[in-house]
Amino acid sequence: MLKHRKKEDKKDHKKKSHSSIDSPRKRLFLFILGGWLLLLLSNQVDEFSLYQGAFVATYAVGIASIILLTGYSGQLSLGHGALMAVGAYAGALTINNLKWHPVVALIMATLIAGLFGLLLGAAVARFSGPYLAGTTLALAISLPSLANQFPILGGQQGLIFDVGATPARFGDEFSPYKWFFWIAALAALIIIWFVANIAASRFGRTFRAMRDNPIAAQLCGVNVARQKVTAFAISSGVAGLSGGLLVMLITGVSPSAFPLSLSLLLLSGAVVTGLYNLKGVILGGLVLVVIPEIAESLLTRIGGSENLAISLPGFLVSALLILAVMFTPNGPEHIFKRKH
Amino acid sequence: MIRNTRTKRAVIASALITAGAMVLSTIPAQATETTGVTATSIKLGISSPKTGSAGLVYGKVPGAMKAYFDYINANGGVNGRKITLVSHDDKYLPRLAATQTTKLVLNDKVFAIVGALGTATHSNAYNAARLARNNVPSLFVNTGFSGFASKAKYPTAFMVLPSYAMEAKIMAKFIKDTPALAPQASFLIAQDDEFGIDGVGGFKSGGHTFAATPTLYPQGGLTSALAEGALTSLSAVPGKPILVLFGTTDTTATILKAAEKLALTNKFTFMAGSVGGDANTLLALGVKATTVDGVISASFFPDAKDATDEYVKQFMEINTKYNKGVSFDNTVLQGMNSAMLTVQALRAAGKNLTRTGLMRAIDTKGSTFASAGLAPLNYSATSRVGYNGYWIGQLNAKGELKPFGGKLTLYTTDSASAPVTASTFVRKSIPKNGIPNN
Amino acid sequence: MTQFITAVLTSLSSGAIYALMALALVLVWRSTRVVNFAQAGQAVLTTYIGYEVIQRTGSYWIALVAAIISGAIIGAFIDRFFMRPIFKRVTSGPIVLIAPVVATLGLLGIIEAVIGIVWGLNNQSIEPPVSNAGLNVNGTVIAFSLFNAFVLGTVALAMILLTLLFQKTNIGLALRASAYSPEISKLSGIKVDMVRTLGWAISGAAGGLAGMLYVPSTYLFPNAMDILLVFGFIAAVIGGLESMVGAVAGAMVLGFAINFVTTYISTTLVFPTAFVVLILVLLIRPSGLFAGKKGRSA
Repeated sequence: MLKHRKKEDKKDHKKKSHSSIDSPRKRLFLFILGGWLLLLLSNQVDEFSLYQGAFVATYAVGIASIILLTGYSGQLSLGHGALMAVGAYAGALTINNLKWHPVVALIMATLIAGLFGLLLGAAVARFSGPYLAGTTLALAISLPSLANQFPILGGQQGLIFDVGATPARFGDEFSPYKWFFWIAALAALIIIWFVANIAASRFGRTFRAMRDNPIAAQLCGVNVARQKVTAFAISSGVAGLSGGLLVMLITGVSPSAFPLSLSLLLLSGAVVTGLYNLKGVILGGLVLVVIPEIAESLLTRIGGSENLAISLPGFLVSALLILAVMFTPNGPEHIFKRKH
Repeated sequence: MIRNTRTKRAVIASALITAGAMVLSTIPAQATETTGVTATSIKLGISSPKTGSAGLVYGKVPGAMKAYFDYINANGGVNGRKITLVSHDDKYLPRLAATQTTKLVLNDKVFAIVGALGTATHSNAYNAARLARNNVPSLFVNTGFSGFASKAKYPTAFMVLPSYAMEAKIMAKFIKDTPALAPQASFLIAQDDEFGIDGVGGFKSGGHTFAATPTLYPQGGLTSALAEGALTSLSAVPGKPILVLFGTTDTTATILKAAEKLALTNKFTFMAGSVGGDANTLLALGVKATTVDGVISASFFPDAKDATDEYVKQFMEINTKYNKGVSFDNTVLQGMNSAMLTVQALRAAGKNLTRTGLMRAIDTKGSTFASAGLAPLNYSATSRVGYNGYWIGQLNAKGELKPFGGKLTLYTTDSASAPVTASTFVRKSIPKNGIPNN
Repeated sequence: MTQFITAVLTSLSSGAIYALMALALVLVWRSTRVVNFAQAGQAVLTTYIGYEVIQRTGSYWIALVAAIISGAIIGAFIDRFFMRPIFKRVTSGPIVLIAPVVATLGLLGIIEAVIGIVWGLNNQSIEPPVSNAGLNVNGTVIAFSLFNAFVLGTVALAMILLTLLFQKTNIGLALRASAYSPEISKLSGIKVDMVRTLGWAISGAAGGLAGMLYVPSTYLFPNAMDILLVFGFIAAVIGGLESMVGAVAGAMVLGFAINFVTTYISTTLVFPTAFVVLILVLLIRPSGLFAGKKGRSA
């Protein structure tokens, strides 16, 4: 239903000329180009970097979900880790219990999380600002522990999420990390393309109107509550996909895989690289993966106590977050870009 | 979907090139049997929690292992090679354990993983880092989850700690055999994760029934309010009920302090699982010495305060010299012991050090290694189980664990349904100066 | 019956602690319209300062005063040198609402990291000033001690004082006016910036008090107050974010709900209970229990 309307929008907009990202044709081209470049790149790079790259892509998808919800539709959620968990468990159950293909599992992760987000959004649509933040915070801390209540979810040990061996056609020596990277990168590209399309579409304009001035939007006939729920649902679906990708990388889902700190980490990543701008999404994922590495290499250079070693990555991320809020609150791109 | 022919052609062209690139992918270099080994060095890796609840119990392990390795390096190393230990913090999170372990394998290129910690963490990390596929040994896993002994699921893993199921079975037998305790009602308060749940299962297979369903609390969620509530309702039970506590040390401390507050310290007999029974930590967390006095606990090591034990004495000396600033306790003892086992494994594998060779060495010779443990090691061609026994002791006001009833009796069993039997095992004496000579 | 009484008593104790945190959060909210996540960091930092004072002087009471005063100073400092520049820079766009919150999140991380580096990550203890042994009532020892009574009393006192401050004094009026309508307040001659800093100072003091009252019943480590922040925030939201009484009421509701559920239903439902209570309250009254008129949407 949603896709159909989107296609119509694309037809309307094709004739207009926009700046770089806005043209749907250009978007598709960039999507394919990006995919191709990543593919070539993946052959030149060592396995660990591929593994890290897969994490970058996973976080990028997660950050995209936050940008969609907070940046585009103005709702602050502190609980996206919980939504990732919903997607992750849905994906794991699909593989283990329904015995379906891993790709189907990822799609299920997206759909189930989206459905959950729809229900949740319907409940919290009326909440604003801090009330929504509080609710999502409570969700973040309580949802993972619910996994212990239902044996089918594997309790504290969790469930295995094994995408199985890499397809035989690639040969025995094909690195599973490269396979992860391809899956994650492809998913990230699709999501970015998808969210970019939404942003440029009628939905995107409605979200932005709702975000900037809900009362005026309502006067223009926008059903603010319904749009909020829609945004929430789509954002949750994207978060669910991110969750599915994450557990693919760590080969299992358990309650402790989605602590509150993950939700806050995603939010930080989104703010640091621009809450309103999808371009920053890959950079955001990169920051989240690279900071601990930087911290470690800094420490090997300057030496330091155990305490320093453990506390430094958190310090760097937080410092980065504060600097971003102070100096580039609308994202580094925004300095050059004109308003939407 | 795409109307413009030009774009369509571009898409098809890109797709074809993509497919071609995929087919013609280059093959990345594979790990070898001797990764991490040079003529002069051996690189080992460990991913473990250094903070939080688990860090409280296990945070000292990497430092302790490194201290022992440094000592061995100062005395010639292993077959002329010096051992380095790369240590990463995983905060007891599966996500971080997976990345850190993968990093150790792919980036740091270690020869073997040692002392990995935690069930959820390491079972995820083991698969994520493809340890089986790359034939990377995971030696002396620091957890009591019996599943790691399965060669089918974890072909390169070696347990060392007795499983929590073994501990529970032995505790169950102890309660049954002790006249003062057998008739009392018993209750279990356990952490809602592998520490607790394996314990619950173990008591069941030990044939022990509790007077009520076990109270499980979420990890990090045992507040003093909860403890007080639990103890108040249990105080109504007649006699002197036994409270078995299976959790980390800070939660054991919370429960004991709640008992102090409610003046119920003499109402119950407390039994603390080995993970949460470290007396030093309990005292440091504010539990009164009078409360600690009398707590029953299980161990398979000599008590870390027992300087008359030859292993403890030697490890203490190594700790003072090579692990400055860190107080010697049961965790340090455990870490150094694992390090000692590792060194013996490396020696037994010979000068031509390979991963397969290392694992075979433990399979064939591991049961004869010298170690501080008072229980036997059960490595063989068919078994990856390490220690399989416990002795039951009682803490005194000084925080020392002394054998219950004065005489130390070691019990051994398995993680399944075999009975618990008293063992006459006598451990090997420590090699001279604590330097293995196998 | 004893179980019921114990549940009530422990609920009161838990609720009191949540209330302190909720009070601090509501204070900042009412004076600045910002949810201050750094509150947990400020509170734990002042508690470490109190810990140092105890190490040197051996007196809990001196440490308590020190914690409150340093809490006020730190709170004022954060507003003056951290929040104010942010407000100055971020003046347009919807990020206005989110930036301060996110900034406080960053600040929380920094404070806790610095504490970890300076004091280490191990658990420390602070002994309660009065006995924490259960009181003896008619022969049975109940789950309520002098210390619990002390905490409860202090929270009640704080609530009364703060309500009086906000409702009955000129400064309180200035605080409320500056938050609700800074422009008009400025026109009325209120030094909005200074008033806001004062709000943060009072909130910081409340946080310092919270830490010193909370830590004796648990352990002191950099993340010690994080869970309290979560529960305090939930409590504040339940109560409506608009009044001191609301904050305390919300905290009591939360405390009772959690303790009764864990006593009678299952000990593993601590967090889900918090979520359920919150969402139930907000579904019935979207602005929280004690919020007055609707109209403020953010």
